Amino acid sequence: MSAVDVRHVSVDIGDAQLVRDVTLNFAAGQWHTIVGPNGAGKTTLVETIAGVRQPTRGAVEVSGMSIHAASERLRAQTVAFVPQHPIVPAGMKVRDYVGLGRTAYRSLLRGPSTRDHEIVSEVLNRLDIERFADRDVATLSGGERQRMVLARALAQHTMVVVLDEPITGLDIRHQVDLLEVLRREVEECGLTVIATLHDLTLAAQFADRLVLLADGQVRAEGTPHDVLRTVELADCYGVALQVVNVGGSDVVVPVTAIRQGNVPTFS
Amino acid sequence: MQSSSTRSRILTVTALGFCALFGAMVVGLGVGPLSMSWSHIIGDVASHLGLGHSTLDSLQSTVLWQLRAPRLVLGLLAGAMLAVAGGTYQGVFRNPLADPYLLGVAAGAGLGATVAIVQIGDGLSTPAWTPWLAFAGALIAVSLTWAVGGRGTSASLVLAGVAISSLLTSAQTFVQQSSHSSIARVYIWLLGSLGGASWHSVWMTLPYVIVCIIICVAAAGALDVMSVGDVESRSLGLPVERVRLVVVAAASLGTAAVVSSVGLIGFVGIIVPHFVRLLVGSSYRHILPLSALIGATFLVLTDTVARTVVSPSELPLGVITALIGAPMFVLLLRARRESLT
Repeated sequence: MSAVDVRHVSVDIGDAQLVRDVTLNFAAGQWHTIVGPNGAGKTTLVETIAGVRQPTRGAVEVSGMSIHAASERLRAQTVAFVPQHPIVPAGMKVRDYVGLGRTAYRSLLRGPSTRDHEIVSEVLNRLDIERFADRDVATLSGGERQRMVLARALAQHTMVVVLDEPITGLDIRHQVDLLEVLRREVEECGLTVIATLHDLTLAAQFADRLVLLADGQVRAEGTPHDVLRTVELADCYGVALQVVNVGGSDVVVPVTAIRQGNVPTFS
Repeated sequence: MQSSSTRSRILTVTALGFCALFGAMVVGLGVGPLSMSWSHIIGDVASHLGLGHSTLDSLQSTVLWQLRAPRLVLGLLAGAMLAVAGGTYQGVFRNPLADPYLLGVAAGAGLGATVAIVQIGDGLSTPAWTPWLAFAGALIAVSLTWAVGGRGTSASLVLAGVAISSLLTSAQTFVQQSSHSSIARVYIWLLGSLGGASWHSVWMTLPYVIVCIIICVAAAGALDVMSVGDVESRSLGLPVERVRLVVVAAASLGTAAVVSSVGLIGFVGIIVPHFVRLLVGSSYRHILPLSALIGATFLVLTDTVARTVVSPSELPLGVITALIGAPMFVLLLRARRESLT
């Protein structure tokens, strides 16, 4: 069953066409990763899917509902969005920040309900960040901060979570930690994840499906194994790539001048 | 979603705030050229509630009820409104430098008041029309700002406010220069004062201030959400444009009502919310109500200083608010930094 249908979506900004007639179906309960070079239109596409950006043409339906026609409240109860550079307001406690995820479920005139408190505590525990729940968000490390932002998205209790480059700026351990948390949510809770990633190897290891985007258009779509072996991949990135199997996992390696024995010397 | 230490700190600050407010009210009513003891004032207030008899003579009673009481109440209203409006603007624009005059209220009110004093007045006194024209000027200025920048982002609205303020300030200067005899009177109005307070001005200001403070405080939860920016707030389910329109309208209307009664009193709207933030943290659900409490207390105390230190003359209230408030704020900021390091 399809959780998100993207139908002939185009996004123009001025004269630039950032997304061109994209049609995609994202199956429910799976992890979909959108890959592609810088400037491919990944961020624009996921912002449009999350409903925070209006398409110039086309439509996005989530669980059969037009996401751009829905009210802000209904949209936030349907899709959670984690931007590439989330704003983390200094002075706010981690618990309160995660509690912002409950905005769509409560009256603005009232404070958080008992149910909101319970859901926030449950998410903090699930992501193992309860121990710093009362710390100022400004004191967190990059890895802790990304977990907190993910916790806010999970507190929205949506079946679809859209993430734009969630592991930017994290070291390899924290990258894997965060992706494992997300994978667990997909496996255990049936969450549908749509994420953009730059790291093709991690994308292949964690996603069920890959979408290769370049120049605002879908160039390939399918399982990671299939997409990584398409001739379009190297063409899109403009660099020779080799996919090798290490312990059953696909690893994408650039075939650089250094690896070819053509090491530049500096004198 | 507060820890127990945060909750107890908020309760302590609230309790101290109410004690300070009570003290400021007693001082505001008792201090002046005609001295009245605190016990006599409290006795007189009690007698008006049907409890016992007043020990004040008729002159003291007149000074208390016709001069100091309306001045005190207007000071409470102005201080509370300016502090809440400043905090609201800081939240809605995510800008720590925002004050109640950000969108042109001051420039519009200044132009309205200057037109009243220079064009309508006789040059000897401030005409009765002054508050009305100041109020109209303030509302026209904010409406113009919204018409220019309201459809864009918060930043475009702030920039529109800067442009409209500059335009109206230059118009105000032009009108002011056309009548040298009125310049002093215009300046006195621009510097702000509670000297002209009366029960009439209290009743004119009260409904606006009460309604606008209630709206701003009710929207405090939304301001907390808006601290993550427009895009993320929207993705969290907040109708950002509608919230911004309502809270900006409420804060501007309340400020316009206050400015039309007491002139331009600076500093309160920018420093009091920051002062409260240092004490109780970053949630607007605590900052806005406590800003009302502390803003009201602060303005009554500074007004008492303004009207007594060079008695029988008065110092401009805006000067005193800055002179007292700035060092207090710096001391608190330093203490807070030291406690964090």
